Amino acid sequence: MSADAIHEPGGIVLEDCRKRFGDTIAVDGVSFEIVPGEFFSMLGPSGCGKTTTLRMIAGFETPDSGRIWLGGRDVSRLAPQKRPVNMVFQAYGLFPHMTVAENVAFGLRIKKLPRAEIASRVAETMRTVRLEGMEDRHPGQLSGGQQQRVALGRALVNRPAALLLDEPLGALDLQLRKEMQLELKHLQERTDTTFIYVTHDQEEAMTMSDRIAVMRAGVVEQLGTPRELYATPATAFVAGFIGVSNLVTLRVDRRTEGIAAMDLGGGDRILAPDTDGARDELTITVRPEWIKLGADAGPRDSRVSGTVSDVVYLGSVTQVVVDLPTGERLTVHRLNDELGAIDPRPGQRVTLRWAADHSYVIGSGGASPTDGDADDEAATAPTGAAGAAQGRR
Amino acid sequence: MAAITTSADLERPKRERFRGARRRGGALGILLSPVGLLVVLFVLPMLIMVQMSFVEFPPNTDSGYTLDHYREVLTNDLNLKIAWRTVMIASISMAIMLAIALPLSYFMAFKAGRWELVLLLGLVLADELAPVVKVYAWQVILGRNGILNWLIPGEPIEWLLYSRFAVIVTLSTTYITYTTIPIYAAMKAIEPSMFEAAVDLGAGWWQQARKILLPLAAPGIFIAMILVYIPMLTDFVTSDIVGGTSSVMMGQRVRDLILQGGDWGAGSALNFLMLAASGILALVAYRLAKLNRIDA
Repeated sequence: MSADAIHEPGGIVLEDCRKRFGDTIAVDGVSFEIVPGEFFSMLGPSGCGKTTTLRMIAGFETPDSGRIWLGGRDVSRLAPQKRPVNMVFQAYGLFPHMTVAENVAFGLRIKKLPRAEIASRVAETMRTVRLEGMEDRHPGQLSGGQQQRVALGRALVNRPAALLLDEPLGALDLQLRKEMQLELKHLQERTDTTFIYVTHDQEEAMTMSDRIAVMRAGVVEQLGTPRELYATPATAFVAGFIGVSNLVTLRVDRRTEGIAAMDLGGGDRILAPDTDGARDELTITVRPEWIKLGADAGPRDSRVSGTVSDVVYLGSVTQVVVDLPTGERLTVHRLNDELGAIDPRPGQRVTLRWAADHSYVIGSGGASPTDGDADDEAATAPTGAAGAAQGRR
Repeated sequence: MAAITTSADLERPKRERFRGARRRGGALGILLSPVGLLVVLFVLPMLIMVQMSFVEFPPNTDSGYTLDHYREVLTNDLNLKIAWRTVMIASISMAIMLAIALPLSYFMAFKAGRWELVLLLGLVLADELAPVVKVYAWQVILGRNGILNWLIPGEPIEWLLYSRFAVIVTLSTTYITYTTIPIYAAMKAIEPSMFEAAVDLGAGWWQQARKILLPLAAPGIFIAMILVYIPMLTDFVTSDIVGGTSSVMMGQRVRDLILQGGDWGAGSALNFLMLAASGILALVAYRLAKLNRIDA
């Protein structure tokens, strides 16, 4: 992220923004920088401050403290009408008494642009959001997906420096939502506009975003590419929120060759990269797809035995939940890529194994990947181990 | 004992059939009695008045039909003058009420928070007062020795009471509830995010009001106007009590023609002309409101 890019149109900087409503602290010191043309998501559970942060960027809320820069200009106290950003609302907020074309033209008419220019830009936008032929309909006559596209068109026609989207797909059914996710991503690439997207759906954020800020209780827990968040979660919360994750406490019994080990008896052990020689208790996360069923563990593999408690067939994978003697439970995803493979049954004793490098020690490298370049995905190797290795550097 | 039970059991189906029939008859009776009341107390007198307006004067069993009453009413200068005055008084009162009701409705629907219910209740309670009591209250307030003249220093202002001013003030307060509630209801149905969307697209407060609030509240505004304007055109109590000779209205004129002049023909004709005018007014308003109705 070059220092200059964020001062160009579409670049956004938040400096330690805070906002409270009565006794509730909604946003508790949020800072980040968004480069022009980026698809940036704020992801978190309800009440994490993501929508309030978005509304501060739009101008509907004024930060109690901190500053917001849009394209190098301090807009912290600027009215929403005067900010070069537009918003797509959760409930769309379409004007029911106007036609689709009138809805889309609204912003341009307010700006009193020449009639011919309004007509050509509306026509262009109708093509962009694939609504040709719908110009004279009223919003009430459109399907949910079409209304969504009107809301997008109404905002994009103004050529905003950034488009702000507040859970815009929440009202759509799953199938349509998946279609719209890809459509939004393509729209963002075509229009080369900064998109700031708020959602509580991690899959949605992962599908579309260049970078994601995972938020909790008014602060950013971790900011990074989808890959970084998945492979190298900075906190247990991020590990749990992004995908299915197994959190295991590792009390270090011995350290050898850069590996920390906890012995469980009978040759069973949990291994993890020894990234922090000083700590005796580590929290590690292991992704379900990295754990294998079967006893043929090598010397650098973790090996644990447990009892199967649940088996859920999910189609492409079978999810097996295994209770460990430590009282923890592991979720294992077994890829269904073989005919006739027999799934374990609940109650059965099984042995699990995974490479030591696939135990990701939480917090070990979480801070450093986010300091890296947003585009520098090559630097983040596909496995957690490599992420951790990067963190060690 | 057993025998009695059996006979009762045997009889039950028959009795239920009977009761069912009675129930059906009851439902019909419940439906018909108000309709009957309406016919006897409302439609019949109306028909009699329709006949009166067309029958030659004085009405006898052998008197023929004529349009003279309508011709006379429509060419009478006094009637036209009173009609014009009535329309003016009603229109000014309507304008005043809209000027109050629009911002008040907006405040109640979007800004009042927990005061919303209090204001709504206040409006309803204000309407619960008997209209005649309210009119007399204005007499006390506006009179020569009334509260307003007592508050305003100097010589008492004469034109406060028994004037068009008094009629307009009284009418405006009498019908404010019926003006506000439909507008409030229409505004309450507007999604607040629509205003945020308009702001986001650059609209200032006036553009929000003109392009979003008023078009969407239009059905409520038209309903309020029908609900209030027509009763004001026919009102005679208000003008009787707080009005003077310069504020005689159509309602009073009809009553005076019939009760004081005994001229049933002219009175009835004038009455039906007013009814027709009100009907046309309501129809126009309905059409306008329908044009602005949201396509769902």
